[in-house]
Amino acid sequence: MLKRAVIARNLHKWLGLFVGLQILIWLASGLYMVVVDIDFIHGDSLVKNMQQAIKIPTSPTLSINDLKTNYPEAKQIGLQAVMGKTFYTVSTAEDRYLFDPHNGQLVSPLSEDTAKEIAIYHFNGKARIVRATLIESDPPMEIQTRRLPLWRIDFDDRYSTSFYIDPYSGALATRRHQFWRIFDFLWMLHIMDYQERADAHNNLLKVAQITGLIFAISGVWLLVYSFPGRRSKKRQNMGETNP
Amino acid sequence: MMSFLKKLHKWVGLIIGLQVLLWLSSGLVISVLDPAKVNGREWMNTGIANPIPLPPGVLLEADQLPGPLTADAFAINLAVVREQPVYRIRAGDGEKLVNAIDGSILVFDQADAEELARRDFTGKGAITATSAGIAPDLETRNHSGPYWKVQFSDEADTAIYISASTGDVLERRNQYWRVRDFFWMLHIMDYQERQDFNNILIIIVSLISIWLGLSGFILLFGSFTRHDFYFLNLTGQREQVLITLIDPALAEPKIISLRKGSNLFLSLATHNINLPSICGGGGECGKCRVQVVSENPPPETSIEQGLVPKPLRNKGFRLACQHEAEHDITLMLKERTLEGGH
Repeated sequence: MLKRAVIARNLHKWLGLFVGLQILIWLASGLYMVVVDIDFIHGDSLVKNMQQAIKIPTSPTLSINDLKTNYPEAKQIGLQAVMGKTFYTVSTAEDRYLFDPHNGQLVSPLSEDTAKEIAIYHFNGKARIVRATLIESDPPMEIQTRRLPLWRIDFDDRYSTSFYIDPYSGALATRRHQFWRIFDFLWMLHIMDYQERADAHNNLLKVAQITGLIFAISGVWLLVYSFPGRRSKKRQNMGETNP
Repeated sequence: MMSFLKKLHKWVGLIIGLQVLLWLSSGLVISVLDPAKVNGREWMNTGIANPIPLPPGVLLEADQLPGPLTADAFAINLAVVREQPVYRIRAGDGEKLVNAIDGSILVFDQADAEELARRDFTGKGAITATSAGIAPDLETRNHSGPYWKVQFSDEADTAIYISASTGDVLERRNQYWRVRDFFWMLHIMDYQERQDFNNILIIIVSLISIWLGLSGFILLFGSFTRHDFYFLNLTGQREQVLITLIDPALAEPKIISLRKGSNLFLSLATHNINLPSICGGGGECGKCRVQVVSENPPPETSIEQGLVPKPLRNKGFRLACQHEAEHDITLMLKERTLEGGH
């Protein structure tokens, strides 16, 4: 019969062959996620003017009741500030609109130049825009759950920041930067969902977790045999070891 | 190098091995729990989730709303709440609802909250208690402002949190969520708020544990030999070597045949010859000492240099766990080692 220490050692060695790399990935991705501040990852330090006060339009050309008459199917009508100016937003089941209350004109969808202006208005710091792209389909991984279309405005700052501007509301829908992208990639490795990067309940993960758990238990078990100094004395006193 | 990594690995393991166990087991619990139950979606009335079109009729304009409410607002939206058109006004101090017909501010009392909760919750159970509170607390930590906690008698012990200022369902909490949240706390090591995974404790423990992973990963390569994978090479050659074992207590030596390349300590163990050992062949205890009395003792390893005194090494003493059966060899064992196996 094999000794328990031999069993534990072999278990640790062979399970290590299967989950050793994943354990290392869990530790390394976890380390990144705990060390890098999550507010920075969310880009809180890269933006400004995120809560702009609304100036209620007085005697506007276009009123809220006008909009309600023009869009009887509207689910939402509201006021929102874009670059310090107040606009109406209207949403129906299918469409969204942005109106200027003072002249009653439809301003959406916003042009590339306006999207760039909005991006600069919200960008906290000095950087040049290197690219503006209207994304209407096939969104990149980093905005997969967002409603399209969106203007993607890329900056040349050291974080390779991208701002996503909604052409139908003028809002900064979201922002992404290099550290966010690394975080997202490591999160994918952490939860082992290599397609959507969102399902932390997939079967591959569960199998790896169970194997990893047995692996870790065998490791802790091995600790008992790995500090021979103290233990051997005790064992010798009990007359167990040497022949 | 290897013996240093081994020391590093076991000492780091001793210090944070338990937390690594907790990370793995809490991670497992979190991924095994059904997310639909954890966030209460399972018992949520999905029929009322979609916004409905605004009812006909003339409404107040934005400049007819109470001035103090709209003065520092950053979002004003018309929506339908309980079949009534309302303005949702969001400002720095939270969100308020104003009736879009008469301009009155909506407040949600206990009866309203219970009605809204009953509308939202489709599980089996009746309301057993309703209490007031102010977010954030443990179960409403992503919100702020006054709420009603409506407690149901269902099996999952559901509590629906209704905002007292907007009537929104803030959270759907139940036993699944509470179990998940407890293990989440263990996972991110934030034992107070259970939400800050950038806390200093987990940063320190992560920085230590990465060394456990790195050293283990390197040790993994050293711990395997070609012999371990013979089972894959079914047609390959299987050379045998003869090991002659001398036990001073016995008159006759014992000769056994081992597969070439197999670890001496482990393969002797499978032949029921248990050399003394505490660590189980890990090169930790130095107990599995044998004397190579044939002419060709294998070169000393760094682990042996640490565990076997030099005069003995010069006389051919080696640790069985550190060597493979490469060619025919004669080993002198401690007295009565062979007896013990029979």
